[in-house]
Amino acid sequence: MIEVGKDVVVVGGGPSGLAAAVRLAELGYSAAVVESGDELGGILIQCIHDGFGTKLFGKALSGPEFASSFIERLGELGVEAWTRTHVVRVRLEGGSWVLTAVSPRGVLRFKSRAVVYATGCRERTPFEIRVGGTRPAGVYTAGLVQRLVNLYGVLPGRRVLIVGGGDVGMIVARHLHLEGVEELLVVFPEPWFAGLPRNVQQCILDFGIPFRPRTIVKEIVGKERVEGAVLVRVDEKWQPIKGTEEFYPCDAVVFSVGLVPNASQLEELGAEIDPRTRGPVVNEYFETSLRGVFAVGNLLTPFDYVDDAVETAFIAAEGVSKHLSGEARRDKPIPLRPGPNVRLLVPHRVEWASGRDVTLFLRPSVERENPRISVRSSGGELYHTRRRYARPSLMERVELPRGLVESSPEGVVVDVE
Amino acid sequence: MGLEKKVRKVLERYSGYNLSCEIRDGVVFLYGRVRSYEEWVEIGLEVGRIKGVEGVVNKIVWDGYPAEKVREREERRRRIFEENKGRVVGSYDVVVIGGGVTGTAIARELSRYQLRIALLEKAPDVATGATKANNGMIHAGVEPPRSTLKRKLNVKGCRMYERWARELNFKYKRVGSLWLITPRTLEKYRRFLPGPLYTLVLKYVLPYIVVLKGIINGVRGLRVVRGRKIFEMEPYAARDALAAVYVPWTAIVDPYEVAVALAENAAANGVEIFTSTEVVGFLKEGDTIKGVVTNRGVFLCRYVVNAAGVYADEIAEMAGSPEYTIHPRKGVLVLFHRSTGSYVRHCLAEIILPPPPRTKGGGINPTPHGNVMWGPTAVEVPDKEDVSVDPEEVQLVLAKYSTILSEFPRDRVIRYFAGVRAATFTEDFVIRPAKWVRNLLHVAGIQSPGLASAPAIAEYAVQKLREMGLELREKPSFNPFREPIPSLRDMEPEQAEELIRRDSRWGHVVCECELVTEAEIVEAIRRGARTVDAVKRRTRAGMGECQGGRCLIKVAMILSRELGVPLPAVLKEEAPLFDGYVRGEAW
Repeated sequence: MIEVGKDVVVVGGGPSGLAAAVRLAELGYSAAVVESGDELGGILIQCIHDGFGTKLFGKALSGPEFASSFIERLGELGVEAWTRTHVVRVRLEGGSWVLTAVSPRGVLRFKSRAVVYATGCRERTPFEIRVGGTRPAGVYTAGLVQRLVNLYGVLPGRRVLIVGGGDVGMIVARHLHLEGVEELLVVFPEPWFAGLPRNVQQCILDFGIPFRPRTIVKEIVGKERVEGAVLVRVDEKWQPIKGTEEFYPCDAVVFSVGLVPNASQLEELGAEIDPRTRGPVVNEYFETSLRGVFAVGNLLTPFDYVDDAVETAFIAAEGVSKHLSGEARRDKPIPLRPGPNVRLLVPHRVEWASGRDVTLFLRPSVERENPRISVRSSGGELYHTRRRYARPSLMERVELPRGLVESSPEGVVVDVE
Repeated sequence: MGLEKKVRKVLERYSGYNLSCEIRDGVVFLYGRVRSYEEWVEIGLEVGRIKGVEGVVNKIVWDGYPAEKVREREERRRRIFEENKGRVVGSYDVVVIGGGVTGTAIARELSRYQLRIALLEKAPDVATGATKANNGMIHAGVEPPRSTLKRKLNVKGCRMYERWARELNFKYKRVGSLWLITPRTLEKYRRFLPGPLYTLVLKYVLPYIVVLKGIINGVRGLRVVRGRKIFEMEPYAARDALAAVYVPWTAIVDPYEVAVALAENAAANGVEIFTSTEVVGFLKEGDTIKGVVTNRGVFLCRYVVNAAGVYADEIAEMAGSPEYTIHPRKGVLVLFHRSTGSYVRHCLAEIILPPPPRTKGGGINPTPHGNVMWGPTAVEVPDKEDVSVDPEEVQLVLAKYSTILSEFPRDRVIRYFAGVRAATFTEDFVIRPAKWVRNLLHVAGIQSPGLASAPAIAEYAVQKLREMGLELREKPSFNPFREPIPSLRDMEPEQAEELIRRDSRWGHVVCECELVTEAEIVEAIRRGARTVDAVKRRTRAGMGECQGGRCLIKVAMILSRELGVPLPAVLKEEAPLFDGYVRGEAW
C-alpha cells in the first residue's frame, strides 16, 4: 500500500481540480491531485474548439490549451498528480480524511486534513428524459460523440439526429458537419436554442445546419442499429401535440439533454445534496456540509464558462486555507435562498465569521429584458444589480458585499425581477 | 364431447369469420382470417384452455398480418439453407438450439455424460433473448395452477437454485417475498363484502387462502404477517397494508449471469458453443433429423433439443413437427439507481384480484447488486422481436407500483427495457418428444417462471432424452464448479493490492459507476465475450447511472485491442457500435 500524506487532496484533475491545486500550492500548502482518467485536463481534452478563457485570460483558447496552462503551472509548483487513480473509499479517521484509491501502481492511501472534490458532471441519458422505443446501436450522448470524433477519429453515423439545443449539442453538430456527416438535424423543445448566442451563430447558422425548435424525440426506431426516430412537436409546456408525430430516418441519435453533477461519492459520504442542482450544498467558500470537504466546478452545478468553474476553485482554495488555519465560523450559518424566478443558486449559505465578499452563481428560471437581480431580507431589499437580459440558458454571477449578508442573520433571498 | 366438437364450439362464437380447424394427435390447427391481432390471441387462448388440447398452431391471419415479411424471412432461410447444406461442421450426439437460460442449462446438464454436444445460438452471445430482460426473480411456485408442468418444475427448480449458485458461483440472494394485502386487494368485490366484513376478509381470510394455495402447490413455510410486523420486515411498505403473506423461498439472481455461468461451465465440460449460428433448416430421413443446417454449415446429430425461446415454433415447423404457436407477450421493466436499494428488502407485490391485465405478476424486486426493479408489464405483441418501450408504459409502471412503496425515490430511474415471453396458447411449458419427428425434443413455452424452473427443466429434459433412447454414461471428469470473474467492487483493499501486483490492469478502473477494471473486461473477453453488451453482462461495465456515457469508448477500445479489430467494427449486441473513420483516418 502506497501512503501519501498531504495538507489537501484534490479529487479530479479537470480544470477546476487543477485550478484548486495550483492555488493551494501557491498559498503554500502541499497538495496531490487524484485523477481517474489517463491524463489531466478532464473534459477540456476533447474540447478542441476555442472559446475557453475569455474571462480569465482575455483570449479564446482551445480546451487543451486552457488545460495545459494549468498543467504546466502544476508542474512548476511541483504538485503531485496521480492519473489512472480512482478513489474507491473515503473515511474520516482521527480528524483526517483518508482516501483509498486504486491505480495500476497499486492501492494508495491518501491522508489529508482537507479534501477538494472536483469530479465534474456527467451527461443526462435518454432514459432520464423518458425517450421510448428500442435501445439499438447508434444512440449516444453528445460528450461521448465529441470524444469519439475528436480523439479517436470515428464517426457515430452518417445521418445524425441531435437532440438538444444547448451548447454541447451545437458544438457537436458543427464538428460532425465538418467531419463529413452527410445529414444533420438538431431538435429541441424550446422556442429557440438554449445555448450561448455566439454558439448559435458560429456552430449552427454559419454552417446552415438544419434545426427544428419545439420538437422532441418520442421514440427510437431500429432493431440492431438505429433506423430512425419518431419526432413530435410540443407546446409551450413541452407537452407533445397529438397527431404531429413524424418518422425521421437516421442512423444515429445524439442526446445533449443536460448535465448532472457527479456527486454520488459525496452523497454516499453523507454530504447534503441540493435537489435543485443535484450537487452538494455548500457555504460561501464552497465547503460541503462535511467539514473540510470542498466541492468546486461543475460538481456544484454545470457552468457555462470554464472561467467561472475555475473561479469557484480559487475561492475554495482560500476556504481550505481558512479551514486548515482553524479560522472561526459563525454559530449559525446564514442561508442564501433562491427566489421564485431563480432555478438554482450556489452557494447555499454563509458560514464563516469573516472573509471575502460572497460570489453567487444563479440560473434564472424566466426570461427577462433589463432585469434586476435583487437580494432581499425580511426587512426589504439589501442590494440589486442590473443586467441587459436574463434567461435560463445564462448563468449569472453576482458579487455580494459580505456586510450586507451579515446584517441579515435570518437569511436572504436572491431573485430576478 | 369430442375434442373437435369443443373446438368448433369456440370457433362458432366468432361466427362473423369463416374459421376452420383440424386436429392431429391432440394438436389443434386453426385456419381463417380475423380482423384484429387481439382476436387472434383470444381465439388461440380459448382453444388452448380446452381440456385435452396439447397444442395450438394458430394459422389464422389478421388484418395487417405481415405476410411480406414472413415470405422474406422464409426466402432468406431457404437461401442460407441451400448455401450451407453440403458443408459439415461436425457430428454430435445432441444439438441444443438456443442459448438462453433453458438451452444453456440443458447443455450443462448433458455435459455430465459422455456425449458430444453442440449448443447453437443465433446471436453473438448467450442470454440475449428473454433471459437478459426479466426481473431475475426465483419464484417459489405458489402461483401456477396445481395441474401444470410449470408448477411442478417451478417448485422443484426453486429448491435446486442454492446448489446451482454454489457450484456455478453466480450472485444469488434468498430475500423471500412479501405479498401485501391492502384495501385495494379486493376492490372489485367490495360490494359483496359490506362494512367491516371487507377488512375482516382481507385480514383474516384471504392470507390463509394464499397459504393454502401454497400448500396445495407443494410450497410450505408461507407465513401470514399482520400489523407492525409488516413494517419491521419492510419499513417502506404501503402504510395501509392490512396483512401480508411471506414466502421464504423466493430469491433473486442476475438472469444473464446464470446463463453465462451455465454456458461457461458447459464449455469447460466439453460442450461446443457456437454463437452467431442461426438454424435455417433440417436434413431429414423420413421422420428422423440427420443434421441441423445453419449459416455455418451442417451439424450432424442424433438428437435435437428445441430451446429456441420465441423462435421455438418456427424451429418446430422447420423440423416438421409444428405443435404450438408462440404468441409473444412483452414485459416492460424499470430499473432504479443503486442508492435506492435500501428501500426494498424483499420481492414485493400487492395482491390485486382479479389481476389487472397489463401488469399481472409484476412487482418490486431488489437485485443482487442493490438496484431495484419495478415491473414487468404484460402486453401481447405481434412481433416477437418487439422490445420497444412505450414511455406511457413506464409511467404506468411508476404509477401502479408506487402504492406498494409510497416513499420510494421514483425519480432515480436509470434505465427501462422490455423482454418478450415465449408463451404458447396452452400457457404451460411444453417439454416432450415431438409427435411427428423421432429425435426432436421440444422445450418450448418457457415463460415465467422459466428462470426459476431452469434447473428442474434441465433435469426433466435430460430424462426425456433418456426415454427417447439417448444412452447416458456418466463422465468421471465432469466438474460442476465454475469460478466467477473476480470484481474490484467486492474486494477489500488488501485483495486488490495482491491482484494489482500480479497484473496492473486490476488497478485501472474503466467503468467508474460500477467500479469495473480493465482486468475484468479482458477476462470477460477471454471467456468469450465478443461485444460491448456481452462485456456489460459479464462485468457490469456501463450498467450504472451514466449508462456507459463515460466508459463505452474505453470498453470498445479494449475489445478492439483484444480482438484485433478496428474500433468501428466493434459490435454493441448484433450491430457495430459506431460508424466508420472520419476523412483520412485509417486503422
